[in-house]
Amino acid sequence: MEKEITIAVSVFFIVYAFIVWDKIDKAVVAVLGASSLMALGVLTQKQAILGIDFNTLGLLVGMMIIVGVCQKTGMFHYLAIKSAKFAKGEPWPILLYLAVLTAVFSAFLDAVTAVLLIAPITLLITDELQITPYPFLYSQILASNIGGTATLVGDPPNVMIGSSQGFTFTDFVINVAPVTVIILAATIAVFKIIYGKKLTASEEVKRRIMQFREADTITDPRLLKKCLAVLLLVIAGFIFHNSLGLDIATIALTGAGITMLISKETVHHSMERVQWTTIFFFMGLFVIVHGLVETGAISALAAKVVAFTEGKVSTTAYAVLWLSGIASAFVDNIPFVATMIPLIDNMEPHMGGQIASLPVWWALSLGACLGGNGTLIGASPNVIVAGFASKSGSPIGFLKFMLFAFPLMLMSILIAHIYLYLRFL
Amino acid sequence: MNAASMMSTGIMTLTPDKTVGDVVKLFFEQRIRQVPVVNEENVVLGVITSRILLRTILPGYIREGFLKDVRFAPELRQFVENMDALKDKPLSGFINKYKPASPDYAFVGPETSAMEIAALFVNTEIFVDRILVVDNKKRLLGIISPIDIFRNLWKQSEKDSPEKD
Repeated sequence: MEKEITIAVSVFFIVYAFIVWDKIDKAVVAVLGASSLMALGVLTQKQAILGIDFNTLGLLVGMMIIVGVCQKTGMFHYLAIKSAKFAKGEPWPILLYLAVLTAVFSAFLDAVTAVLLIAPITLLITDELQITPYPFLYSQILASNIGGTATLVGDPPNVMIGSSQGFTFTDFVINVAPVTVIILAATIAVFKIIYGKKLTASEEVKRRIMQFREADTITDPRLLKKCLAVLLLVIAGFIFHNSLGLDIATIALTGAGITMLISKETVHHSMERVQWTTIFFFMGLFVIVHGLVETGAISALAAKVVAFTEGKVSTTAYAVLWLSGIASAFVDNIPFVATMIPLIDNMEPHMGGQIASLPVWWALSLGACLGGNGTLIGASPNVIVAGFASKSGSPIGFLKFMLFAFPLMLMSILIAHIYLYLRFL
Repeated sequence: MNAASMMSTGIMTLTPDKTVGDVVKLFFEQRIRQVPVVNEENVVLGVITSRILLRTILPGYIREGFLKDVRFAPELRQFVENMDALKDKPLSGFINKYKPASPDYAFVGPETSAMEIAALFVNTEIFVDRILVVDNKKRLLGIISPIDIFRNLWKQSEKDSPEKD
């Protein structure tokens, strides 16, 4: 068993190092790491497959297909332009509305798609207004991660936590969402203080915003109606999944099936919308972390952590919150959360069981999701917006972003800390 | 039939120190749509096409395809202003600057067959207007357009058909 622990831990750290090094695609690294565990005899294939959380994968695949088809209808562009016009072309309200729109999309659909669709429109709008796009892009990055924190289906760490612990959509709405609303408001307030007065536009350019024809964004009105119906059904399914007795992957995949049935594009094309690299990354990671669990490495670590925290729920929750926040700013929050889940699972008996340990889970969710805001590489939306901005000729500097975003991330973690204290501890 | 027998020679070229204004003048006066940019040894450095110029005046997010369809937007002022700013810029700044998913031109050697060139023109993955014929040092020998292939095949079939009768 000693030997297996050594192999499992070594593979884990090598994989982690390659993920941080970021020169080889992380999906390839994770898959190779997972298969090496089997090749070296740490796990059998049967055991490895038991480690994969298909609820997480099913949700991701389903949502990628649904959102991929729905974005074709132009509905996201429509809403972005509608909100710019609703702001009457005033820069500050446009920033506010687009940030809120991004947060809502990220909470219920997918953060990456949200920024991928809203950021280009944002650049077009700021070009028309002849103002700097940066505050807009920054606010959307931050809003996407904050929005994603709010629900079970928003940011992947939440679905991982939720499906491992059997938490429902409502659990997240009740326990996590309230503080994300406060954090979003506080973050936007900081933007208002810094940029509120600086962002101005002449009457003439504001009139140009009003000349946008949002109706022209809708390219396929019939598909739009169908997509809206599916989206509403899926979101309703998420909200009531517990009373329906269905797991969220079932709901997302049913929605994806209906979407493929009603959209006129070929199924082949719809399935290409799934980011298979993400899916394979998850599969590999689940197996690698399962190697740590099966060999007993996690329970050994848990015993040490418990000795350190003396099994106190409050100490553990605060430690998990800050540690996961700062770690997630620099490394992918998905491998981090994948490792923390079995660790906290193992610590639960020492903290008075699952009910007593609940605040630790909320702390993990808040820390891992909000931490992504700390740097430009902290979360997928950040990376996407940065890549997109540099290709578009408005590059976002790593340090420049961090100087602004890291303190805001710490502020959000502090708010989460106070929230945990007042509400649970 | 090979590239050398089909290509047009005596092509207008420009050196990289010439400006966008010079290219546009050639476009208008010579009614051509692309100008190879060559150095003193006639080695091809790149090709300037009207599409490349369009790409440079479009905002990056449209050029890169993040926003493919802008039918809902009013005209951007920058779109018009950018063209003005281009006039005096040297060509060196535009050669291979924005590598699109589909290149605007392709190279072949003088021995390349007509069928291979025809396949290059109709291939859906890349969209090329003209194919440059170069020697092994990438020196420009000639240029081939789809119509050149037609002209040569046509001549060939006219030559062949009387024999069939």
